Amino acid sequence: MAKAFKNGSRGITGSLHSAERKLLRELFGDIIHMLEERAEVHRLPDDIDPLYALTGIRPAELALPPIKDAALARLLPDASDDKEIADEHRRLTEADLISEKLGRLREAQFLLETDKIVLDPAGAQRFAQALNDVRLVLAQRLDIRDEADSERIAQMVDAKDVTSPEEYLALVYNLVSWVQDTLMFALMDAEN
Amino acid sequence: MPDVLSSPQARVVPEKAWRLIVWNDPVNLMSYVSYVFRSYFGFSQQRADTLMMQVHNDGSCTVRSGSREAIESDVQAMHNFGLQATMTQED
Repeated sequence: MAKAFKNGSRGITGSLHSAERKLLRELFGDIIHMLEERAEVHRLPDDIDPLYALTGIRPAELALPPIKDAALARLLPDASDDKEIADEHRRLTEADLISEKLGRLREAQFLLETDKIVLDPAGAQRFAQALNDVRLVLAQRLDIRDEADSERIAQMVDAKDVTSPEEYLALVYNLVSWVQDTLMFALMDAEN
Repeated sequence: MPDVLSSPQARVVPEKAWRLIVWNDPVNLMSYVSYVFRSYFGFSQQRADTLMMQVHNDGSCTVRSGSREAIESDVQAMHNFGLQATMTQED
């Protein structure tokens, strides 16, 4: 069983069991894969105006394809109810958002190579952000839409009760939520 | 009288402010949302908690307002944290 994150003299520390680490690394890997696929659509054509190629800015006439996967849409949401504003914001910022998320997810995957995790506050924040991305994707797969769904899922805490893949996913979601929550309290303690 | 354009009226219409709205969702932990408000905006714990509860109870909350550029970068930062955030211009 995972140990809660704590703030202490050596920094913010916590530990996870090898099975939990393996599972989390796979989850980080799934999201990395989703984001890498989306990053492909940001590639600018080879024959583009060199000024765009140089700056990496996407010209307005090169529209991005819409996101069809709801979980990916949750990671890369619209910036406005106004479609024109949302599309422009996406065209100019989505590639950066993807690469920042990828960086944190890869770092988190690497952190889980060892059972004991030691973090400074900045590293703890990035780890929390990566865990949060995992929870956003799992919540979409579990169809958590409101507080009632969230409470129903929260009941699933004992591996003995698991009888279906959905219940297993709920158990995983609750584990990641618990790890993230203890990390936030350790981080607040470290910064006070 | 040379045929030139008349000098433009020195009248600047101030752009209406943009607002950053953070939306409630059943996924983001209260501890996490409060932390994001403190660390990114530099709010006190009390102010961060008040805003977090407002998002939670009212469904959304205007966290701050400012120029389009400032709010655009806030929205991007919130998305980086995984919070549901949008920008809108005041009427």
